[in-house]
Amino acid sequence: MTRPARYSAYGLARRGLTGAAWPPAWRAHELRPSYDVVIVGGGVHGLATAHYLAAKHGITNVALLERGYLGGGGSGRNTAIIRSNYLTPEGVRFYDRSLTLYESLAADLNFNVMFSQRGHLTLAHSDSALRTMRWRAEVNKLQGVDSELLDPAEIAGLVPHVDVSDQPRYPIVGGLFHPPGGIVRHDAVVWGYARAADANGVHLHQDTEVVGIDVVDGRVRGVRTNRGPIAAPVVVNCTAGWSSLVCELAGVEVPITTYPLQAAVTEPVRPFLDTVVVSGTLHVYVSQTDRGELVFGASVDPYPSYSTRGSLEFTEGVATHVLELMPALAKLRVLRQWAGLCDMTPDFSPIMGRTPVDGFYVDIGWGTYGFKAGPVAGETMAELVATGTTPELIAAFDLARFAEGRLVGERGAAAVGH
Amino acid sequence: MRLPPQPGEAIDRTTAFTFTWDGRSYPAYAGDTIASALAAAGVRVFSRSLKYHRPRGLLTADFHDPGCLVQVGDEPNVRAAHRRVEPGMTVRPQAVWPSLRWDVKSANQLVGKALTAGFYYKTFIKPRPLWPAYERVLRRFSPGGEVPAEPPDGRYDQRYAHPDVLVAGGGPAGLAAALAAAEAGLQVLLVDEQHELGGHLLWGDDGDRAALRDLRGAVAAADGIEVLTDAVVTGRYDGGRVVVLQRSAPGVVERLVKARPRVLVAAPGLIERPYVVAGNDLPGVLLSTAARRLVNRYAVRPGQRAVVLTANNSGDAAVGDLTRAGVDVRRVLDARRGDDVVRVRGRRGVRAVECSDGSTVACDLLVTAVGWTAPTSLLTMAGGRSRYLASAARFVPADLPDDVLAAGGIVGDGSTADLVAHGRAVGHEAARRARGLPPAHVADLEPGPHPELFHGRSNGIVDLAEDVSADDLRAAVAEGYDSIELVKRYTTATMGPTQGKLEAVNTIAVVAAATGRSIEETGTTTGRPPYVPVSLGVLAGRRYQPVRRSPMHTWHVEHGATPLVAGAWIRPDHYGDPAGEVCAVRQGVGIIDVTPLGKLALHGPDVADLLELLYVNRWRKLAVGSVRYGVMCTEDGVVLDDGVTGRLGEDRYLMTTTSSGATTVEHWVERWLQTERPHWQVHLVPMTDAYASINVAGPRSRELVGRLTDIDLAPEAFPYMRVRLGRVAGVADCVVWRIGFTGELSFELHVPAAFGQRVWEALLEVGADLGVRPFGVEAQRILRLEKGHLIVGQDTDGLTQAYGAGLDWAVKLDKDDFVGKPELAWQRARDDYLVLVGLQPVDPAVVPPESCQIIEDGQRIVGRVTSSRMSPTLDRAVCLGLVAARLSEPGTTVTVLLPDGRRVPVLVMPQLAHVDPEGVRLRG
Amino acid sequence: MMLLTCPHCGARDAGEFDYVGERRDRPDVSRATEQEWRGYLYLRGNRADWTAELWHHRAGCERFLTVVRHLGTDEVRG
Repeated sequence: MTRPARYSAYGLARRGLTGAAWPPAWRAHELRPSYDVVIVGGGVHGLATAHYLAAKHGITNVALLERGYLGGGGSGRNTAIIRSNYLTPEGVRFYDRSLTLYESLAADLNFNVMFSQRGHLTLAHSDSALRTMRWRAEVNKLQGVDSELLDPAEIAGLVPHVDVSDQPRYPIVGGLFHPPGGIVRHDAVVWGYARAADANGVHLHQDTEVVGIDVVDGRVRGVRTNRGPIAAPVVVNCTAGWSSLVCELAGVEVPITTYPLQAAVTEPVRPFLDTVVVSGTLHVYVSQTDRGELVFGASVDPYPSYSTRGSLEFTEGVATHVLELMPALAKLRVLRQWAGLCDMTPDFSPIMGRTPVDGFYVDIGWGTYGFKAGPVAGETMAELVATGTTPELIAAFDLARFAEGRLVGERGAAAVGH
Repeated sequence: MRLPPQPGEAIDRTTAFTFTWDGRSYPAYAGDTIASALAAAGVRVFSRSLKYHRPRGLLTADFHDPGCLVQVGDEPNVRAAHRRVEPGMTVRPQAVWPSLRWDVKSANQLVGKALTAGFYYKTFIKPRPLWPAYERVLRRFSPGGEVPAEPPDGRYDQRYAHPDVLVAGGGPAGLAAALAAAEAGLQVLLVDEQHELGGHLLWGDDGDRAALRDLRGAVAAADGIEVLTDAVVTGRYDGGRVVVLQRSAPGVVERLVKARPRVLVAAPGLIERPYVVAGNDLPGVLLSTAARRLVNRYAVRPGQRAVVLTANNSGDAAVGDLTRAGVDVRRVLDARRGDDVVRVRGRRGVRAVECSDGSTVACDLLVTAVGWTAPTSLLTMAGGRSRYLASAARFVPADLPDDVLAAGGIVGDGSTADLVAHGRAVGHEAARRARGLPPAHVADLEPGPHPELFHGRSNGIVDLAEDVSADDLRAAVAEGYDSIELVKRYTTATMGPTQGKLEAVNTIAVVAAATGRSIEETGTTTGRPPYVPVSLGVLAGRRYQPVRRSPMHTWHVEHGATPLVAGAWIRPDHYGDPAGEVCAVRQGVGIIDVTPLGKLALHGPDVADLLELLYVNRWRKLAVGSVRYGVMCTEDGVVLDDGVTGRLGEDRYLMTTTSSGATTVEHWVERWLQTERPHWQVHLVPMTDAYASINVAGPRSRELVGRLTDIDLAPEAFPYMRVRLGRVAGVADCVVWRIGFTGELSFELHVPAAFGQRVWEALLEVGADLGVRPFGVEAQRILRLEKGHLIVGQDTDGLTQAYGAGLDWAVKLDKDDFVGKPELAWQRARDDYLVLVGLQPVDPAVVPPESCQIIEDGQRIVGRVTSSRMSPTLDRAVCLGLVAARLSEPGTTVTVLLPDGRRVPVLVMPQLAHVDPEGVRLRG
Repeated sequence: MMLLTCPHCGARDAGEFDYVGERRDRPDVSRATEQEWRGYLYLRGNRADWTAELWHHRAGCERFLTVVRHLGTDEVRG
């Protein structure tokens, strides 16, 4: 293992003075003819899986194949919200482990991922929304996760710009506050994992597209890429947006429908919004980055597509809903909008683990909540690949549940789950 | 410094006024921009840069100028070189402390070498507990203006326009294209970003101005051209939708204009590119177009002594304009001959320029004319591409779809006459295509030769808005961030308010040089909407948020009802005393407005088959005059909706749904009819709004309704679960059914909507002696909970199948088919699901809040309370809840965890109903 | 949004329509195995290719119609 140059304030100052360049965070390699493990997808899930395989299990003969550039898919297009206040005990436990990993990620990777635990506030505009929030709060508390119901006055204290009067079309009747939640610099998570995986010997291959998966007698034998074939006894599908198509290459059918999810960012303004604010009824979530921009997201587009062109309806809808919540923001301007692809499953929960093809594993179906699960997904998938045993944390997310009618209860929750 | 009147000036010297900048008063003329007025008064520094807090001044002197974003009153990030100044305007610099002149954050320049791109990823890592403090400091360095605490004044709106041809850009080519299309008889919408039509002719020479006068005259005289100035096309979306932001429109702050033109003509001209060289961000470095604009439009002399670096005729013309304005042009460096600028010196502004011949020229102004960027983003949004043309040193449009054309400078170079001719040809072709004729080729305007001048030999700022230098980009490449996307993300180049317009091509060029790849291989300039930042206010428009109200709504308001927002509807939650309302119903009679109940009229010979298919229970034997409760599931067996359906005649039924499920069920029924059973003869008419619905409930309801109707209400004539048609309070065509959601004897009246209030008031009037009172949704919820009637979506969730909702009695698996049947058959064979049960806390005074969890062994969740209330009838807490099937036996004690941490015992009841489980009262 | 052509109303903005799902055949209820039924419930083609879909002209004629759309480009076949 080659240790990378350590990042620190001292290092910055020294190199600033001497003009010495930092070494590359990762390197390019030729494809080897075979690897012990091939990971498809260079987003946070694939990179975290590669990192934990190498760092925790000593499996370093690993190739990670990315069709474009690292973090160019969902990992670079999400709104970077981290939280663990889910509805079901299995969901809460799983995401809480992820949040714990996020808390120490900067130190573990020696890469500041800028995890800002500023709190996550979900607003309720109806009795039924409040009921679902109490449900979440109660389940969270039982799992040791900090979640509490707030009344409108407490909300006004937390987010002064929010209109808690009875004037809005959907007045705010309460909220669920989750102090450990927050936002993270999504690209930094990708790069931090990539740098750590590279340092441990994992080969990161960008511009490398998987065009075929070889399966013989029900066992995976390797992949074919635009740069040539690779033999491997284990292939892990960590893609998003195209996960059902990658599964199809291995002959595995998965219950996934792919929808665009749009987001937008405004011009920067001075800091005024400290928490992440979400409204399920209004289908919008808002946070302010350290750079001062407001980041907006909403629910997935109304119809499935692999197209990532933004729509006017999205920005119009977001603007309407944001101004319902915070009417003082009318003169703030939207600077950019973009879209990513979300693989939705029937029960709003991922598909993780084995498939009917031996050696072909999936870590897919992440809907709109993949980024917050990146670390724990990597950790558990690495454990599964390394030990052959499915970790308890992901047992409920197996592919067989759909054919066997054991759907995960997150579907009981409200529509927007960020 | 203001010059004497210029022949093409935009200012009106007869209207002078003052405004304030940074706390001081300044003079201005009408027609001035904020920046031109300040520049005329000698102000050179407008902002501090993002990272190093270096002073910044004018660069492009137009909307896209990165150095002059200011706060105007409560509006942040105003483009000072575009926004026209108004009398009394209060303008402030943004994000400086304590002042623009002495900004302590400029200390960042001292440690600048350590603040390389992405420096924050490499530090503040340990110790972890200190990161929140570091983060607060970082946030303090964020740029931008301030958002107000209160909503700003003024309205925004939106408009639909229906032009045949939309021309984006009102320079010579755009004007000519609009004229040609209008002459062909088409409706044209001509949009231009500046305050006046004319494009670069506005700051041109006498010949340019003469040509512009002719074109503007022709446009004004032409039929069918609507002109929007200070307006910009923000995007071209799917389906050919083109969106225009109109920044100044009468009566509104801003307006968004939406159109689907048959043909879009893009004639945006060219954007001048800055030169990347050390010191290129100092106040006093101007683009040639900016210098010409300042002199010719605003009569501002931008400096005293100038050096001009020119590679094209815009730079050459700037030399002439500056000289005429009395600027001492000390040196003209001709890049076409290999002259270059090595570095610009100065601290608060330009003091000298080091030239490639080794000389240093003292000056306060450097004007550069080193190349152009074609703003192709509108074309790439429309599905076209951009292609790099090395000989012209710019990207040009390629592969445009048939309904999009490009005209003028974006395509190629030429004289004003050439641009006009090209515009005319494109406008003519646009008219042909708008008429549906097959596309014909328009001869392209050839791009002229231009040297490739992106960055010089020293380290300059590439992205002035984000303070990203060429060395930052090179360092990113060296660290492995070697594709253009990674470089952008790592350095934030092109991510700022200029959106890449000024810096994208220079960024690509620097990265190309650093990686050894060509510009073409390195990146393209694919546009994404919006082309310019668009306010939330104008995107939201008038924020039309429809609500639905029953015909009795005004009565409720006048009688003190507390409103409840229930989805689309506003309903009375209660009239001040929900418990009293409950007692009135249990002991006498009450009336509730249930208009939001979904109502669907079904006609035809196959309605019974339809009901058999969509409901889990049986319908074929429903007699005329009878009603029945039904439950619908989706194909996965999950409960979708419930309600009562009655048979009004041989082939005539009325279906009711839950209020929240009304639309869903209507579409659900239509979908099964249209797609799975198209041969069935069933006609569906949504009736929710056609009827006002009133439920009259309580032991004296028969007496009350009897006073107003000719229908025989005697128990034997009108038994429970029957429907009758007749007059109520003199209103004909009412539907009355005898059902009992509240658990009491009750009659539900569906009366033609226009007569709703009349019947409502009549009931209250004639029932005064019976003690009739209105009751609201809250009382109804208590009543139904006492009776154990479930609410779909509250006592069930997105996974609750029919057997889990305690609906075993309704599901008829021996039917041949119904929606969801296979899943329900399999569900019945299992016992791994939650079951809905009646629950009563052992302590009658404890009401567990809804959603409290039912737990086992300390913390394992085995169910939850779905509904709970204090029952005024029983004077004790009553609940419904979902529990694990093995705990659903009557008499089982389960543990409920309260929000305050207490664990309380709760008894599972033998049935869902807490009050009158035998149903004596409702059958009475 | 894209335009969809309703056979009754003509070309309209997709915002007038509700997407219902990929077109698929309902298995014979009397014979369907668990696997077949759950395939019907949950499995979709989801290919970046031409796909026959069911749409509902909610804000128009209320008709359900089949739209053949390319999921990679959102082009609609007339």
